[in-house]
Amino acid sequence: MSAIYIHIPYCLKKCLYCDFCSVPLDSSAEQYCGALKRELELRRAQYEFKAVETVFFGGGTPTVLPAWELTSVLDEIRKLYPLAPDAEISIECNPKTADFQSLCALKRAGFNRLSIGLQSADDHILSLIGRAHSFADYQSTLNAAKEAGFTNINVDVMHGLPLQKQEAYLDTLKIVCDADILHISAYSLILEEGTELKRLVKAGRLRLPDSDETADMQDAGMEYLKERGYIRYEVSNFSKQGYACRHNLTYWNNRPYLGFGVAAHSSLPNGRAWERFSNAESIKVYLKRIREGRLPTNETIRLNKAEQMFETVMLGLRKVEGINKKEFFDRFEVDIDEYFHEAIASVREQGWWEEDESFLRLNARGMDMQNAALLKFR
Amino acid sequence: MAYEQNLIRNFCIIAHIDHGKSTLADRMMELTETVSKRDMEEQLLDSMDIERERGITIKASAVRMFYHHTDGKCYMFNLIDTPGHVDFTYEVSRALAACEGAVLVVDATQGIEAQTLANVYLAVDNGLEVLPVINKVDLPSAEADRVADEIEEVIGIPAFDAPRISAKNGVNVEQVLARIVDAVPPPKGDAKAPLKALIFDCLYDNYKGALSYVRVFEGSVSAGMRIRSMATGNEFEVTEVGVFTPAFKPTESLEAGEVGYIAASIKSVEETKVGDTFTGADNPALQPLSGYKQVNSMVFCGIYPADGAHYDDLREALDKLKLNDASLRYEQETSAALGYGFRCGFLGLLHMEIICERLEREFDLDLVTTSPSVSYKVLTTDGEELTIDNPANLPPITEIDSMREPMVKASVMTPVEYIGPIMELCQSNRGEFVNMEYMDATRVSLHYILPLNEIIYDFFDSLKSRSRGYASFDYELSDYQKSELVRLDFLLNGEMCDALSTIVHKDRAYPKGRAVAEKLKEVIPRQQFEIAVQAAIGGKVIARETVKAVRKDVLAKCYGGDISRKKKLLEKQKEGKKRMRQVGSVSVPSDAFMSVLRING
Repeated sequence: MSAIYIHIPYCLKKCLYCDFCSVPLDSSAEQYCGALKRELELRRAQYEFKAVETVFFGGGTPTVLPAWELTSVLDEIRKLYPLAPDAEISIECNPKTADFQSLCALKRAGFNRLSIGLQSADDHILSLIGRAHSFADYQSTLNAAKEAGFTNINVDVMHGLPLQKQEAYLDTLKIVCDADILHISAYSLILEEGTELKRLVKAGRLRLPDSDETADMQDAGMEYLKERGYIRYEVSNFSKQGYACRHNLTYWNNRPYLGFGVAAHSSLPNGRAWERFSNAESIKVYLKRIREGRLPTNETIRLNKAEQMFETVMLGLRKVEGINKKEFFDRFEVDIDEYFHEAIASVREQGWWEEDESFLRLNARGMDMQNAALLKFR
Repeated sequence: MAYEQNLIRNFCIIAHIDHGKSTLADRMMELTETVSKRDMEEQLLDSMDIERERGITIKASAVRMFYHHTDGKCYMFNLIDTPGHVDFTYEVSRALAACEGAVLVVDATQGIEAQTLANVYLAVDNGLEVLPVINKVDLPSAEADRVADEIEEVIGIPAFDAPRISAKNGVNVEQVLARIVDAVPPPKGDAKAPLKALIFDCLYDNYKGALSYVRVFEGSVSAGMRIRSMATGNEFEVTEVGVFTPAFKPTESLEAGEVGYIAASIKSVEETKVGDTFTGADNPALQPLSGYKQVNSMVFCGIYPADGAHYDDLREALDKLKLNDASLRYEQETSAALGYGFRCGFLGLLHMEIICERLEREFDLDLVTTSPSVSYKVLTTDGEELTIDNPANLPPITEIDSMREPMVKASVMTPVEYIGPIMELCQSNRGEFVNMEYMDATRVSLHYILPLNEIIYDFFDSLKSRSRGYASFDYELSDYQKSELVRLDFLLNGEMCDALSTIVHKDRAYPKGRAVAEKLKEVIPRQQFEIAVQAAIGGKVIARETVKAVRKDVLAKCYGGDISRKKKLLEKQKEGKKRMRQVGSVSVPSDAFMSVLRING
């Protein structure tokens, strides 16, 4: 066992583009952390672990809950699971939901990495996508975080937003870089089915940059981050040397993780097989199951070896360094070059491939065409 | 025992779509206790799903009823249902030929429509007594008097005493039954003469084989008898005869004047053609009943499975549909873009749509259809005349001396306020104005000669939208006229896509070429390289669009460990790929072919 994910589904309000499991803060929140602690207990009885290397509190916006509740959940993790002494313990927060005091409390309790959702430094764009904060709010949150002692900080930014121009996007990046932020997640907006934003765009009430403009923004942004000394280590993630997010690398390395809370996902070995499961997606159902002392598991998928190998490729190729051939062999006792011989040849023929002694990877163009490349492995 | 001919009435109902034909038939069956109200499925005569949904009758159907008249006698009614669409005029004419009378149902809120009128004329041509009935008189917008006047003026039959009914609520339907006895003449046929039975419909039954729906004019037919088709000379042994209750009910025999079915181990409906006459093999009649003709396809298109792997399924489905639809024609064809499929011939555009819909719905197939085409006559420079219904088979321009295209006589009935837009529509579809008749102060009938290839696209839809649904339309094939036609081709990165080729009038080629190229640009997804979309006539490019190369094909975010989501997206992409057709190096989604189908420049 190497990673624990805790999902906090509450937000000040839902952003227009969000199709993740999040709801405005309501009365169920009072019972939520209690339920999380119960689930930590329930699942403890189920599994054997060596060491937990990373913990990630994500959401939603975890920091809409009082800091003492969050720290009590972390304390419970410590009590029940073998947390490594140097574990990376991250928490997500959005501006306006955390102040100096609460951030101090989190820091003191052991959280050592903070991820702040900025998305854009342009207030007009922020309001268009339904963010609950302004750029000024972000700055005060960031200042408070630094004062509270957080150094390992990530900032989320987005491109391809309504009315966004390349200059505005680069401005946002510059502001973030100038603050000596160690990690930047730079996502391209995805118009998800069922979101308010998709509805508005479809109805012609909001215009998004076209795919060329968005691609230009992304390319220019990557160029800029490189200039500022950031290393791209995954499709959308950049960091200063040594500050890659260890928790997210667990996903991309297809290593085990256990998720707690509503709609949380887990992936881990069970005997000789590998299992993935997810929790109930409704807060009400989740709380009820926990109250009844039952596991809130929704759906369990058992993966055969072929599926596991494909997923390892699918996730591994998101990383710039690519897939470690030896690790692949140690895990599956299969030579990746041989097993995926045809697919690799075909991707190479497209001019998307790169490899050395130890790693197989997509080159920059291959990274852009990742889905097409992955289909060849399917 | 033969039923006394004097007590038999054979009739049909003529009505425009939605004017209440099926509802009236239902009420008649209830009143005569043919079907109990409890068992009554709404609109029993229309049995196919599509018929129910579209509110039209595709296949004719029949039912026998017994009516106790006030004169104390019990009459046998044979109601023959007729298809209600322009594509099926021939089938209608044969159904009418089987009757002595027709009940004309006119909606009191709408008045007479073009197709109704066409069918009434058909009925009159067939010597039928027409009995007008005004329906939906219970609606607030009903204008029964005006409609009665219209019937008298337009059709020229008395309508002052036409029953005014509400079929829906069963009001005055009894009157209609009584009037049928009084107005419709009984059949007069010699029961002792050699058999003459008119086939007016047919149906394939899994157990009995092809069933012929017949009206016996002379003689009689019973099981064990050998019969002969007078059109083909084929002979069969009758295994069963019976009547429609409306379920099939075997009887000992069918006598002159009666309506029923004949089962004779006939393998396919191909062999029992509508309009044909059955006679006795041992004692044949000298002359068949008049009116038989071979039905020709008017509209053609290629039908392909969206996923090439389903070719055999498509063939099986067509074979099955053909069992029941003798007017459907198909033969194997190959397209460079679409692979193996079928060239299909239809009676008209509706017929084509119905077949495609049934293939998709009843057989669960995903289809790609190519642009509908008509059949052209091509005179080559060698002096040879070719009939071309597939643009791919058109010889090069240099080998064509001249071309002719089929024309139709079209009549459009419309309220006067829409005359302008409708004339504009006809003109823009190369229509040649013939004349305009005032039916009354508010409605006119416009007559045009139109090229058939102009009305097979979106003519009907345009007509409806320009007249807010009030105009109605009918056409019949007239002749072939010389025309300046060209084949419009589409190229993707220089590679011709045969499935998109169409034959159009030269004046329409530019706008159509541009419109289709624009649409293709929209529906062809970006690929790893830039794609040139070109429209061309005989190698000369007349329009060009560019689909730019894809820049990013990557999921920006892999959500908090939700791997199945990413996998599902990949699966979706993979499924989409399966539905792509290759034109040279370019992948074209199956839907793309469909989306340009109805563009008419």
